[in-house]
Amino acid sequence: MPDTVQSHIALPVDVAVPRSRAADTARTLVRAGSLLAFVAVFAAFAAAAPGFLSAGNLANVVGQSAVIGVLALGMTLVVVAGGNDVVRGGIDLSVANNLGLCAAVYATGLGAGWGDGAALAATALAGLLVGAVNAVSVVWLGILPLLATLAAMNVCAGLELVLTHNTVVAASSPLLDVLSGEYPAGVPVLGEVLLGVAALLAVVLHLTPAGLRLYAVGGHREAARAAGLPVASYVAASYLGSGLCAAVASVLSVALLSGSTTGSGDMLLAAVVTALLGVVFSRRLVATIPGTLLSALFIGILINGFQLLNISSYWVNGVQGVLILLVVAATSMLRPNAG
Amino acid sequence: MSLPHSPIPPLGRRSALKAGLLAAGTAAFGSGLLRPATALAADDASVPSLAGKRIGITVIGTDHFWDIKAYQAQVDEVKRLGGEPIALDAGRNDKTQIAQIQTLIAQKPDAIIEQLGTLSVLDPWLKKIRDAGIPLFTVDTATPHSINNTTSDNFYIGEQLALRLVSDLRGKGNVVVFNGFYGVPVCAIRYDQLKAVLKYFPDVKIIEPELRDVIPNTVQDAYTQITAILNKFPDKGSIGAIWSAWDVPQVGATQALVAAGRTEVRTYGVDGSPDVVELVKDPKSPASAVAAQQPSLIGKLAVQNVARYLAGDHDLAPTTFVPAFIVTKENAAEAQKQLGQAPA
Repeated sequence: MPDTVQSHIALPVDVAVPRSRAADTARTLVRAGSLLAFVAVFAAFAAAAPGFLSAGNLANVVGQSAVIGVLALGMTLVVVAGGNDVVRGGIDLSVANNLGLCAAVYATGLGAGWGDGAALAATALAGLLVGAVNAVSVVWLGILPLLATLAAMNVCAGLELVLTHNTVVAASSPLLDVLSGEYPAGVPVLGEVLLGVAALLAVVLHLTPAGLRLYAVGGHREAARAAGLPVASYVAASYLGSGLCAAVASVLSVALLSGSTTGSGDMLLAAVVTALLGVVFSRRLVATIPGTLLSALFIGILINGFQLLNISSYWVNGVQGVLILLVVAATSMLRPNAG
Repeated sequence: MSLPHSPIPPLGRRSALKAGLLAAGTAAFGSGLLRPATALAADDASVPSLAGKRIGITVIGTDHFWDIKAYQAQVDEVKRLGGEPIALDAGRNDKTQIAQIQTLIAQKPDAIIEQLGTLSVLDPWLKKIRDAGIPLFTVDTATPHSINNTTSDNFYIGEQLALRLVSDLRGKGNVVVFNGFYGVPVCAIRYDQLKAVLKYFPDVKIIEPELRDVIPNTVQDAYTQITAILNKFPDKGSIGAIWSAWDVPQVGATQALVAAGRTEVRTYGVDGSPDVVELVKDPKSPASAVAAQQPSLIGKLAVQNVARYLAGDHDLAPTTFVPAFIVTKENAAEAQKQLGQAPA
């Protein structure tokens, strides 16, 4: 691939260098098809599910997608910097258990009488520390991200148990009251935080030189290194960003559930699905912030619509599985460097 | 607990004492056990219809015998009474259950029944259900926001199981306790009753630290934890009993005792799942006793309470206690018949 250096560094994100016309058409079809599927599902629910279109319900969906959404946004940073090869590329399997650990730190901190400020600082530190461990393992020890973050996932799960003894730690604070509330009436604050975090990351990733370089590092690491980019720092930064996102998501989760609860690890699959599904919403089939946000909302809408139609929630898992299969199949067949 | 009991009292007498709280049809008969099926037949017909009504049913999970029985009974009873159930299983995930409740509130059903789960997580959302003007009923969840909570008398269950335990130990010995779900009110009540009884038996001591039972992999985890603690207390007689607030850890604990050849230790639990009643029946098994509940009846009565309320009966008691009883080696065969776990 002689042209990747130039294309990744010099061109704006999401603009593909002309390659084969057939592949381009196929990618356009996948993207158009995905958007069409999104719109079709939305329209079907709007027509069939009572109350789906009400402002309150849609606001609810955004709020319900907040915790997984922020986790998946963090995962997106890692996928962008590491490349979206599911096995050897960037992935952070520790996000869900990192959230569990951070939630435990925040809830026990508040329980110990710390104010919101101190508890938040400790929570952010915990999230960043886990990110740093991942960064060291992946960047400097050269361990496959899949394995490195799997190990970190287990460390987080263990530390969470140390803090909580596998029980629910109830928590309350002025910040949690604000986060679990609705402002203005009917709009969950959690949903606003999701949109805020997505907007911030979208600006950083898609409108700054740093974001463009992150894509360059993930697109072709050797080329990026040859072009003089500090590749290691960028990859490390993506894991730190993912760790911080887990910390932010943990505060949202504590607000939603009035404390830290067990079973955070269950969220891992949803976070991975959301980040991977997001690629179908971009022109080059790469992870993007708007793509991940759309995919988080899409899954939220599926779950919500199924419940409104009184279809068993058991189906949602199956549908998610089929979606991930379709997306991985489509993207691996159509990725520029495939075959 | 001011009501008088003999150590293992017949349920019927106790139920009669609590007639104000018990739905009439659940009153127990016989000596020691109960016959719900016969007693309820007449009552079922008098329940108002739920025709045209949508009833939301939200449960934290259905992976345990008790959970699925109580949940399925609610769904079936809503359908039997002509209503439409919106049945939601959160798959043992607090976040999922909260999301389901949020959406359920937006669906504005005629009533919502909530079953089990962690109270501190649920309570703010249960309040929002009431704030939205939707009548809230609960199964096994004691909360001020609920119009009626249908449940076993867990005070009775905890106390009777504890009395049985100290009686078997003859007032002396060490007890291993699984206390992983104190955040679930029914488990907390059972545990507190154990502590209340042990206060007066100073020679029965709980081994510290207490163990934490987990979900999922409850049986395997309990097996591992008990195997480890048996190694820590290798002498026969150094542990007298193992107590858990439900009966799935009891299964793992019992298996671990058999595997280690420590069948002198006795196990105690709550719920009365068929496999555990079978274990208790086995004279050679260390499973000594299990408090048997009637989850199907609990689910059914919860729905009947909803039907009565929606038909205008706003004078419901805040709690409907459904009889439970202690299954031991002596009565296990009879208990299986009464619980519908063996041909009568």
